[in-house]
Order: sequence, then C-alpha cells, then structure tokens
Amino acid sequence: MAGTEDEAVVTEEQAQQTEQGEQAVEGEGEEDGRAGLRLPLARVKRIMKADPAVQIASQDAVFIIAKATELFVESLVGEAYQYTRKAGRKTVSRRDVDNSVEAIDALAFLDGALDWS
Amino acid sequence: MAERPEDLNLPNAVITRIIKDMLPEGVAVAKEARSAIARAASVFVLFATSSANNLAQKHKKKTVSAQDTFLALKEMEFDKFIEPLQESLEVYKRSQQNKKEQKEAKAKAKKAEEADKNSGSVEDNSEDGDVSNTMEASLTTDKENDDVMEIAE
Repeated sequence: MAGTEDEAVVTEEQAQQTEQGEQAVEGEGEEDGRAGLRLPLARVKRIMKADPAVQIASQDAVFIIAKATELFVESLVGEAYQYTRKAGRKTVSRRDVDNSVEAIDALAFLDGALDWS
Repeated sequence: MAERPEDLNLPNAVITRIIKDMLPEGVAVAKEARSAIARAASVFVLFATSSANNLAQKHKKKTVSAQDTFLALKEMEFDKFIEPLQESLEVYKRSQQNKKEQKEAKAKAKKAEEADKNSGSVEDNSEDGDVSNTMEASLTTDKENDDVMEIAE
C-alpha cells in the first residue's frame, strides 16, 4: 500500500482534506443520504466482491456491513485505548491493538491477519 | 482476476477520522497502530460478508440480505452492534426513499415541462446533470423488497 505519511500521526487538517478529496473521487459525497455513514459504500462493495462465493448483495446489506465496520473500528480503538491508558501513554501503539485482539474472543478472527501488507 | 492489495483497503482518511473521534483530545495514534486498525477493518468486511453469504446460501438464497448480515453479526459475537445498526438502517432507508421520490418528481416535472413546450422540433433528450446512483444502475429484480446490487460483474 502506498504510504506517503512521514509523521507518526496525521493532522486534523490533512485528515479532512484527504477525506473530502477521497469522497469526491468516490462520488459518494452525499453525507445526508447515508445515515451518518463515513465509509464509502462503493469501496465496501469492492471488498465484498473480493469473495468469489458472493454473487449479489442487497443495498441494505452493503450499508449494514459498512456501518458495522465503522462500529467495529470504534470498538477496537476503544479496547486498544484501555491498554494505552493502563500503561500511562498518550499514543495508542500497535502493541495495544495486538493485546486487544488477544484478549477478546470476538476478535479472534484477526489473529495473524494484521501482518500482511 | 488479480486482486491487488490496494483494492481491499478502506480510505485511510476516513479510518483515521473514526479513530480520532473515538479518542479523547491529546491522545494520538501511532502510524503502525492506525494501519493495523485499517487492515482489521478490511478483514472485518471480508469476514462479515463471508458469514452473511454462508447464511444466505444455507437458506438457498442467492442474495445476501439485510437479515443475513444481522444474523452473521450475531454469530460473530457482535450482538451489541445490532440495535444501533437497525436504527441506522431505518434512517438510511428513509433517505434513500426520499432521494428516489425526489428524483421521480424531478423527472415528472421535466416531462411536464417538455410537453408544455409543445414544439414539433426534435428536442435534445440527453439527461441533465444528475449523477445516477450507481447502486440503482445495477438493480436486478428480486423477490426481496430491498434493492439489490450485483456483486459479480
């Protein structure tokens, strides 16, 4: 994956600008029509297509998976942050994420999956 | 079809936004942590899709429905997501319905306008600048009520 970020952390401004740029490219910029969904549906659909067993998915199904993914990210971040806090740090590290994956049953599907690039 | 890794990635900026919104001010995320979370999100999509698809096939259906995804999430032990997702889905369906009605009303008005002109000359029938909904463009009829979009091309 082409990574151009040099800093460890992406600034607010950059996040906003890139987000708008990416949304413009995706053509999914209508915030109002998507129930507060931030992930682009087209991108989620593309990932779903990667599964050869999947033929057709309803629009609602794609939406739900997209929204669920957002909730999932929030959940994972929340878990990782517990470790960050416990260690008295102000930066969430990769180790914090790994610890969360190890500790939580529902995250077992991520075992070993975070290392491919 | 060769699947390049980039194709399975979700937009970095959006993932970063979601992460930052979850954390208190002053807390940063290391680059490696952020990319791990982004990757986890992609894997989640794949896992949820596969689980939902399995459920659909188990019930001899070709289309992965909203119901299949809810059941899949339950199986995946993400029960806590179900209620908020159902609420979001309602909002989404309503807004999709509104958009559809607006579009139909617009098309109707345009047709009425053209009829009023009542000219014998050939009118330019090209569509106006509406960006058609890519999902509607690939609608297939299905027994289910919700709109479907072709996954396989």
